[in-house]
Amino acid sequence: MEAKKTPLHQKHIELGGKMQAFAGWDMPIQYSGILEEHKCVRTKVGIFDVSHMGEIFLEGEDAVELLQILVPQDIYTLNNKQIMYGQITNKNGGIIDDLLIYKYNDTKYLIVINASRINEDLNWIEDNAKKERFNVKINDITEKFSLLALQGPHSSDLLDKIGIKKDSQPLYYNFREFELLGTTLMISRTGYTGEDGFEILIKNEKVVELWELLLKSGIEYEIKPIGLGARDTLRLEAAMLLYGQDMTEETTPIEASLAWSIAKNKTHYYNGKERIKDQLITPPQKKLIGFVMADKAIARHGYEIYANDEKIGIVTSGGVSPTLNVNIGLAYIDNSFKIDDKIYIKIRDKLHEAKIVKRPFVEKVNKIVR
Amino acid sequence: MDFEIPEGILCTKTHECIFQIEDEYYIGITDFAVEQLGDIVFVELPEVESEFSQGEIFGTLESVKAASELFAPVSFKVLEVNEELISKPELLNSDSYKEGWLLKIDLTNPSELDTLMEYDDYKSEVQ
Repeated sequence: MEAKKTPLHQKHIELGGKMQAFAGWDMPIQYSGILEEHKCVRTKVGIFDVSHMGEIFLEGEDAVELLQILVPQDIYTLNNKQIMYGQITNKNGGIIDDLLIYKYNDTKYLIVINASRINEDLNWIEDNAKKERFNVKINDITEKFSLLALQGPHSSDLLDKIGIKKDSQPLYYNFREFELLGTTLMISRTGYTGEDGFEILIKNEKVVELWELLLKSGIEYEIKPIGLGARDTLRLEAAMLLYGQDMTEETTPIEASLAWSIAKNKTHYYNGKERIKDQLITPPQKKLIGFVMADKAIARHGYEIYANDEKIGIVTSGGVSPTLNVNIGLAYIDNSFKIDDKIYIKIRDKLHEAKIVKRPFVEKVNKIVR
Repeated sequence: MDFEIPEGILCTKTHECIFQIEDEYYIGITDFAVEQLGDIVFVELPEVESEFSQGEIFGTLESVKAASELFAPVSFKVLEVNEELISKPELLNSDSYKEGWLLKIDLTNPSELDTLMEYDDYKSEVQ
């Protein structure tokens, strides 16, 4: 099957983007270089085309009931124009996908999901809706709409400059709609970098115009287009999990150390509730941790972890931290290990020392407006 | 990427290359490999005096994206290691044929040079 192209495909090539297949889409991995792009987002502002992400509207009187059985979060606590981070869980509490849930009103929600999981998510959501005979319209708009991310300390300044004035910009994990370029933009204060920033949903026909406006208006802030390569190093420094690596259908939100995000006293039923409730009382065997390498070696997905000659875990994400200038990673290890413990990662048949540390690796340097 | 291509350079399908500076043989990686790898952040090289047969793994490069093994383009013995590269792997990105060389070597089976590709053939093979 030929890789899908976002409406900005040609723009990426013109900007020197190196294109690579990602979750069925031909996407820019990098433009000027991952390290340079990474630094630009931490210190200035970067623009990302993340139109491969899935967007699905759930509309109808039972939309909230459907969401309540899909995720361990409590949808009743969400206000209009607010966003919640969550996970779609299976019957065993394993994570089918992680997502953002946007509440427009009591009968209209938007979910933003991973590109690689759109089909699985859609099937699962439709099955659940059908089984419960819910009155919900499930409307996948992924291929009609584009998503841009504007991330970095100057994101807010740049939006202000194009007419989205600061005092009208949404606060952290909120969204608002704006009229610009003769269309409606849905702007949320969210991102996958650990920086202040926004994500903008816009219909395909208008996204090239918006992209060019932002790049041109951003010159004074030294804006750069950012590829998926830097998106990965940025999210890793912020210790944000990547679906398919750091969480799968085999891991629960508790094992993935996402207990902070779930509603611990949720009374409503949801898929996997029994297992997740159990794990809240009796901690599971494994948990996700963050580690820093003692030397310059790089731990990668799938490498084994040892302590006292015993295998105690496995690396799920690893790489460089350009901000800290050390190598970092995420791993699942035996639950008995704790912060500051030494662990040993097997890299090309040699054990390399690492230390378990607090997450995120990089604290938010730039204040996020809450 | 506009590195100056050393005269007489010979390359492998796996992007290692051999070139000469003042009659000495050096092992490096091609400009095409550098371009593909992007930012190189870690280099692991063998010790002086160690010997490798053609095709054997002699080291590793890590870019931000991934780890890549280095395969001996011919059989050789290590005369000198580019120590500066260990602390500054980015030298590979600035010029893999100059300050980004990997090893200075002695050929232990010079006839193997015939099995390598000339630069133009290499380029048409990999592109």
